[in-house]
Amino acid sequence: MNRVLSQFVLSKHANRGFRLSKHIFIIPAIIWILAFSIFPLLYALHTSLHSFRFGRINEFVGLYNFVRLFTDANLHSGLRITLIFVAISVSVQMILGFGLAVLLNREILGKNLLRAIMILPLFATPVAIGYLSITIFYEQNGPVNSILRAFGGGNTPWLSNPFWALVAVILVDIWQWTPFVFLVSLAALQTLPDDLYEAAKVDGASGWSMFRYITLPLMTPILTLILLLRLVESFKVFDIPTSLTLGGPGRATEVYSLFTYRTAMRFFDHGYAAAQGFLLLIIVSFIIITLYRRIIKVYE
Amino acid sequence: MIKVQTLISRVLIIFILIIALAWVIFPFYWAFLNSIKKPADTFNNTIIPFFQFQPTLDHWLSEISIPETQRALLNSAFISVGSATIAIFLGTPAAYALARFRFIRPKNSSLTTWFLSQRILPPVLFVIPFFLIMRELRLLDNILALILLNATFTLPFPIIILSQIIRELPRELEEAAFVDGATLLQTLRLIILPLIIPSVVASWIICMAFAWNEFLFALSLTTKSAIPMPVIIAGAEHTRGVQFWFVGVRTILTMLIPTLFALLAQRYIIRGLTLGAVKG
Repeated sequence: MNRVLSQFVLSKHANRGFRLSKHIFIIPAIIWILAFSIFPLLYALHTSLHSFRFGRINEFVGLYNFVRLFTDANLHSGLRITLIFVAISVSVQMILGFGLAVLLNREILGKNLLRAIMILPLFATPVAIGYLSITIFYEQNGPVNSILRAFGGGNTPWLSNPFWALVAVILVDIWQWTPFVFLVSLAALQTLPDDLYEAAKVDGASGWSMFRYITLPLMTPILTLILLLRLVESFKVFDIPTSLTLGGPGRATEVYSLFTYRTAMRFFDHGYAAAQGFLLLIIVSFIIITLYRRIIKVYE
Repeated sequence: MIKVQTLISRVLIIFILIIALAWVIFPFYWAFLNSIKKPADTFNNTIIPFFQFQPTLDHWLSEISIPETQRALLNSAFISVGSATIAIFLGTPAAYALARFRFIRPKNSSLTTWFLSQRILPPVLFVIPFFLIMRELRLLDNILALILLNATFTLPFPIIILSQIIRELPRELEEAAFVDGATLLQTLRLIILPLIIPSVVASWIICMAFAWNEFLFALSLTTKSAIPMPVIIAGAEHTRGVQFWFVGVRTILTMLIPTLFALLAQRYIIRGLTLGAVKG
């Protein structure tokens, strides 16, 4: 189709104006990205090779800032916390979201209303949700502890205990992003062909085996894609821990991005912070490359 | 026997559905509830206004009358509208070019991937260069800096959504326009644009909501006069302590705009958030 149109255009009009203008359409966007994304990226690379003093470049230090990445215990703790956060939060979101989508993938009343409600968390300002959660996880008479107490639980020290603070951050993230997994899975489930299921029913397949041998294989590419998007997004987590726990108590919820932000904006160690940023970029790229191959493989 | 089974499974599904909905809605209701409770009522676990407690609008009125809050709301509005508009003006022609023309070097697919990769990059990597660049340009604590940045990172949304939508349109109209001697710009403006206006508006809304919710750059690049709502909220508990009623008001003030607008763009949200992979 593309060829048809361009041949048509070239033969009928044969003017360079058309070929020129297709570039004119896309060049502003390209220049914009070059100026506001690629240039800053190169600038960050430049920054990472220097040491800073009083917020100004001091001297060229080569790869020293990158070497520091290997020996900084606080950075490693941030990375470890982020890994725990990502692993738990994303697995729960995937299981809950996809599970709900499979259960509700049928004719139910008020489907549009359900979708509308599920969209709300995705666009609720994460900082606001973190801030609100301070009251939700409030230890004295907060709603979570009140409910737990009604079921016979004790008073959980949500925000003052290192373990429970991380659980709280993870719970908020699960609240915000499970609907995403749900909505995308549901949309994908509805495109699966009915005839496969009917054939399986004729052959006397049980609900479980239909799920195991039809739904799951057909959904694998989409689920991998959702997993990819969630992993990449979760590694960048910053807003919720910053507003809910400020990285505390101690460093218990100081995730990677928060640590880097503090290196940059509190300790003005700009070169080192840039190096940390690149390490995060490498981690995220590694995930993308690994999973992208898998998505491609599944499609083939 | 089978009937009993389907009945049980139906009841079970309704039960799960209700729990899921309650779980999703609870924080919103909780924020609303606290925002209209008198301070003394916030520690009673009452949930029904008028019956269990007497609601009040005092906190809303006093919060809205704070100059910092007014300015933060205005800043948020300017930043999100400004950056979304730039993203649409850059993204729509690019989406049209990607949908209808073949680029050789680089190829269309590489161009699309390149644009999409802007949403993959970790924002914290950009905090340093943007801070240093904006300091050189004397744009620190200036909403212009945040408009430029947010336009950059929301640009993938209109490009991916609109190029898919344009590809779904029949070509005959455009060809007829070319025969009549229309230029590409005229074709885009007079033929394509009227057909895709709903998706353009939806993309604009998605960009706007993302820019409104953006926090990391806003926190790093503003100090006083350019502070938007998310930054106001993040600093609040230190100056004031946790006062449930103000937390409720501020939370709703901050997230009302992006959530309500997102509902208007429902049909395009899954497409946008999965970077075009699932149509929804």
